[in-house]
Amino acid sequence: MAKQEWRLLLTGDMSAFDNMALDEAVLRCVVAGTSPSTLRFYGWEPSAVSIGYFQGVEQEVDLDVCREKGVDVIRRLTGGGAVFHEHGSEITYSLAVKDDYPGIPKKVLDSYTLLCGGLVAGFRRLGLDAEFKPINDILVNGKKISGNAQTRRFGGILQHGTLLCDVNPHLMFSLLKVPNEKIRDKLIAGVEERVTSIRREIGTVDNDAVIAAMCAGFAEVLDIRLSLGTVSDEELALLTRVKEERYANPTWNFRR
Amino acid sequence: MPTQPGTSGADARSADYKAIGGKLLRVRMTVTEDRPSLIQTIRITGDFFMHPEEAIEDLEQLLTGAPLDEVALHARVQTFFDGDVQVVGADVDDVVAALLKAA
Repeated sequence: MAKQEWRLLLTGDMSAFDNMALDEAVLRCVVAGTSPSTLRFYGWEPSAVSIGYFQGVEQEVDLDVCREKGVDVIRRLTGGGAVFHEHGSEITYSLAVKDDYPGIPKKVLDSYTLLCGGLVAGFRRLGLDAEFKPINDILVNGKKISGNAQTRRFGGILQHGTLLCDVNPHLMFSLLKVPNEKIRDKLIAGVEERVTSIRREIGTVDNDAVIAAMCAGFAEVLDIRLSLGTVSDEELALLTRVKEERYANPTWNFRR
Repeated sequence: MPTQPGTSGADARSADYKAIGGKLLRVRMTVTEDRPSLIQTIRITGDFFMHPEEAIEDLEQLLTGAPLDEVALHARVQTFFDGDVQVVGADVDDVVAALLKAA
């Protein structure tokens, strides 16, 4: 049987609001059948903190420091924890597919195993000894290099996640709330101990090579062919709509 | 002075609880002065996963008015988990433990 053809989107750096709105717009169009199953890679400009669907924004984020440093704050459609997306230090991917796509497990945990398997295969192509660590992390040499989050809605699955190119825990913990100041240094040391990055593991970061490796990894585990495409007009219109309704809207970002 | 159940002065409580699965459950609630206390308002936040996400509001609704008693809380949380929902990163016992820690 011929391999399924998926669309590859390379949308470069965009704002948090455009990024999250485009993830949702693509998911909706994939479910509607007007867009093919899609794998997208992107970056963040300006830097942003995203929080999980269930997190309290004021519990997690120091909004004053974010404003001071020009860091956007956004609530994701997906659960999970707060993430600092530093401009230039992270490659983010998202994957959108119908929820009845053949071979994708109905159980969320099992589908993380499959989809994160694409990234594990990608990291291995970069020569890194990567492994999936449930629930939603990927480790290299025992340290976290990628965090992932999934939602299932509108009849589709959206999974997005980070591929850490550089780590900056000092900046990260200046933006996130910590229980008290005494603990801040411990948390920073903990991240330095438990989190790694592509630069730390390989010595350099070649974004194109990383994306190519991840594409090959996903193509391998999903048995698909990726074909470079563009964002459709319908997706762009939806992006504008859901950005206003949700991601750039304080009601959404401050709902918890 | 006698007070009406559920309308007595609210008392704010909160706790953070690390689930066995590794995710954090943060509970903030107000409880009544009844014996046992009843949950008057509740908000559960954290870095867990729940599918569909909107079901968190059903869980909070289900817990509103619940007595702060392990058996009663367990029954309500179990009912929620038995429904059409997948919670990833926390189980029934974790949610009950988080509620009791806040109580």
